[in-house]
Amino acid sequence: MKLLKYNKIAVLALVSAFSFSCAHEDQPTDSQLDFTQPTKTALDNWIDANYFSPYNINVQYKWNQNTVDNSRFLFPPTVEKVQPALEIVQTIWLKSYATIGGADFVKKIAPREIVLVGGVNLNSVGTRTLGLAEGGQRVTLFETDYINKSNRANVTEFIHTIQHEYIHILNQHKPFDEKSWKAITPAGYTADWYNYDIPESNELGFITSYARSNINEDFAETAAMILIYSKAEYAAFLANIKSATALAALKAKEALVVKYFKDAYDMDFYALRDEAEKNTTSVVNN
Amino acid sequence: MKVKNIIKYVFAAFLMLQLSSCNSNTDAEQLFDKTPTERLEVQKSELNDALLASEFGWKAVYFTDNTVLGGYTHLFRFTENGNVEMASDFDDDTAVYKSEYAIQLGSTVSLVFTTKNRIHLLSESDNYPIPALRAKGYLGDFQFLYYGQENGQIIFKANRNNTEIRFVKATAQDWIDLPKNLVTEQNVIGGDSRPLFRLLETNDGTTKHQFDFTFSPVTRFAEANSIETGFSFSYEMGVGYTPTGIIVSPAVEVGGQKLTDFVYNSTDGSFTATGTGGVSAVIKYTDKPLVLTDDYKILLAGQATAAFGFYPDDYTMDATTNSALFYTELERINASLPAGQEISSVQLYFNHSLGNFIYYTFVGRSALFHYVDVVADNTGKKIILKHKSWNGNTTVATPAFLANFDKYLMDPNGLYVKKESFRLVYTNTVYTFASSTSPFRITTWKL
Repeated sequence: MKLLKYNKIAVLALVSAFSFSCAHEDQPTDSQLDFTQPTKTALDNWIDANYFSPYNINVQYKWNQNTVDNSRFLFPPTVEKVQPALEIVQTIWLKSYATIGGADFVKKIAPREIVLVGGVNLNSVGTRTLGLAEGGQRVTLFETDYINKSNRANVTEFIHTIQHEYIHILNQHKPFDEKSWKAITPAGYTADWYNYDIPESNELGFITSYARSNINEDFAETAAMILIYSKAEYAAFLANIKSATALAALKAKEALVVKYFKDAYDMDFYALRDEAEKNTTSVVNN
Repeated sequence: MKVKNIIKYVFAAFLMLQLSSCNSNTDAEQLFDKTPTERLEVQKSELNDALLASEFGWKAVYFTDNTVLGGYTHLFRFTENGNVEMASDFDDDTAVYKSEYAIQLGSTVSLVFTTKNRIHLLSESDNYPIPALRAKGYLGDFQFLYYGQENGQIIFKANRNNTEIRFVKATAQDWIDLPKNLVTEQNVIGGDSRPLFRLLETNDGTTKHQFDFTFSPVTRFAEANSIETGFSFSYEMGVGYTPTGIIVSPAVEVGGQKLTDFVYNSTDGSFTATGTGGVSAVIKYTDKPLVLTDDYKILLAGQATAAFGFYPDDYTMDATTNSALFYTELERINASLPAGQEISSVQLYFNHSLGNFIYYTFVGRSALFHYVDVVADNTGKKIILKHKSWNGNTTVATPAFLANFDKYLMDPNGLYVKKESFRLVYTNTVYTFASSTSPFRITTWKL
């Protein structure tokens, strides 16, 4: 027999092997996993109506070990505290940006998930982590169990967290002018920022001590602090700065923030601040 | 071999492979008759069914880490809709609260308390009992990995540190009795009227051993160190409260038996765990220090001048060796003084050129000298201070505001004097003076 014949036989054998083999394979049946959805509570429905449907933001308040740092001693929020916290975020953050940046602004650039944690995230050096923004996708807010809607300072601190983290997310979408920023107060950045009093850091041209950790935090702190101050409060803050260089640095940073909002997102930063102030007052008074 | 032959063989081999593949022979040993997914689903429903099965729910004494902390009793009642009612003896609030739970799949099937309730109090980073646990709370967890069931108990391990937690079926009485754990807590701490000294006495059926017993209420943790020379042994145990006594973990091992359940006796304030064959362990009070020292001798006549001082605004105030009764009496002095006046020191002088005396100083009023005679009780290893005069005047009565405090130092049965091994920040030696008939103990620096 010639080689060719072998080839023919081989091809035949292959074809038959392919066509007959594994023909008795079972067809897939239903999943063995239990995929029944848990029953939704009134709170779950409220979240769907106010966050999930309009903004495509998922809110996680039930404990999920995969979205938190398991080496920390944290706990989930008390159910009754969830909606008030989310209402604050909705009014002061989402509504302010929607009014000034356009209805679709936050829908396009928003964290896709908000994780709420009830307890304090205390660090071993004694500082508290108030919030985290991860990869522009997820924002974790701590201390939701301690929110007191009628206390302005308390509401302001909580909203400070989300304003701060959202600035990070905006920066992760479009970078700010890091080169110019770096040149303003290059000597003031330090890893042990928590050892300095805020007034001390103010006199070096930083809006808070945390702003001194690096330029990204500086930008986020500067923008977030101006947003949570009212116009009058911020003017009073600047009036109290004694060092002329510090004052100039703070003003230069403010100008860069205003420019960033204009150039990157075509937004009037001062209008946003006024809107946030108006909404903060409405939260505290209601 | 020719190339042609090689090709032949290769074809032949290839054909054989083709024909022998897809053999449906699955003789491999089957360890399980279900797929992993099915088994996990079975486990999930098994756990959920068990949680729901107990009419009055479950009870667990959660020892988060029995090398530093004690046990916290929790009661749980699970309901069909994913809710759980919970109560705990973590603090004074033993009321029942409602939250949510879920059976989740992580590294294995686990029970997770998904919204806040009492159990989360053990996992609050900024609420920690001692500086070493800063940012770690009480080392608690609320995701419990399911490890099956045994004798009607559900066995879990904490996701965080693998600590075992056993759920025992709760009774209706357990829910009613939970507040009694707080009473037990006070009994373990011990009232102001109980004697100062405490010991753990073990009996292995033939021999008794005594251990100096100390309990820290903030951590619910106890230590017991042997007081016998040549017998160096210690017990360390976390303490959990029950309505009738305490549960300890790790167990106190006596004569090869593990003792965990101690029963309270309200008459003498003792806690007793009984094994079999005469084995027992008792935590009890004693009026006498476990070890008597000769430290009192430096105060006796013929010795060099010795001075000791207690200062309410200095580190002597924070010494753990001061007793509750001492603090109470100190408060009473200030409470009975006019506004703007308070006691600023209690000093004891022996063999001074002026004699032996207690020197009380005040803010806003002049100091007082209480002259005394010092009598030695060499058998009891104590000193007895006998009243001579106030400021040299033998007829004047003890000032009313000092009378209660001073009478403990004048204990007619004597004072135990101990040179302590610890320091209070400064290099000065620390001495304590304890009344031999009441729980009054003052801590001083040797000046």
